Amino acid sequence: MRVNVTELLFRAMDAAALRQRVVANNVANANTPGFKRSFVSFEEHVRDAITRGNVTPASLQPKVHTDRITAMRDDGNNVNIDHEMVVMAANAIQFQALSQQLSDRFSLYRYVINEGRR
Amino acid sequence: MKVFSAMATSASALTAEKMRIDVVAQNVANMNTTRTPEGGPYRRRRVVFSELLTDASRHRFVRLPSRGVRQGVQVAAVLSDERPPRMVHDPDHPDADAEGMVAMPDINIVNEMVDLMTASRAYETNVQVLNVTKSMKLRALEIGRG
Repeated sequence: MRVNVTELLFRAMDAAALRQRVVANNVANANTPGFKRSFVSFEEHVRDAITRGNVTPASLQPKVHTDRITAMRDDGNNVNIDHEMVVMAANAIQFQALSQQLSDRFSLYRYVINEGRR
Repeated sequence: MKVFSAMATSASALTAEKMRIDVVAQNVANMNTTRTPEGGPYRRRRVVFSELLTDASRHRFVRLPSRGVRQGVQVAAVLSDERPPRMVHDPDHPDADAEGMVAMPDINIVNEMVDLMTASRAYETNVQVLNVTKSMKLRALEIGRG
């Protein structure tokens, strides 16, 4: 099955926005006793789906998981601020790259619509 | 999906950490307070944070899987410390008892300063997250321009 790249870019940007929300929630609860951090998985589902050659709408959905097995402090909270900041920085750069690619695709469409004139 | 929910999450954390700094300020200011409306010396106060959970039913028609994403932090309670007060021998003090002992608030300035530093660092971190969220939103506005 052919992958619709524009659709994939939309979904990837949705996933990046969701990941930003999840990181914001983790950092907000860095001092909440008993809080467990969450994380988003998306890229691995897409990669697996493309490897299998079976890209379904479900495989393009980001998933939120809660990390219940690790521990950082004795109050049960497992938020590692440094880790969250690294995830956030990487995610923001990825979001920028995706929005750039989406912009480029739209200007490509515009070029076609104008029959190659600029 | 609420467009500004990541920002609202960070904002809730800023409010909560600010509240914690306010409580530290109150504790330090009342280190030597022997009279309170409740009677007796000032009792050390502590904030208790809890996760702010959003009403899941409001997200029923949302295309994105927003289930499982929580919406920040809130101050669940400000609790008074119930430990006995620190007894200081000071017979000249107006609030001294028959043996010349005065009940003083049991406030450890080191604990308060550690609390203050933690809250202030957490505040800074949340401001940083807020700024990154903002730059992502602004970046999304650039799509299709030029």
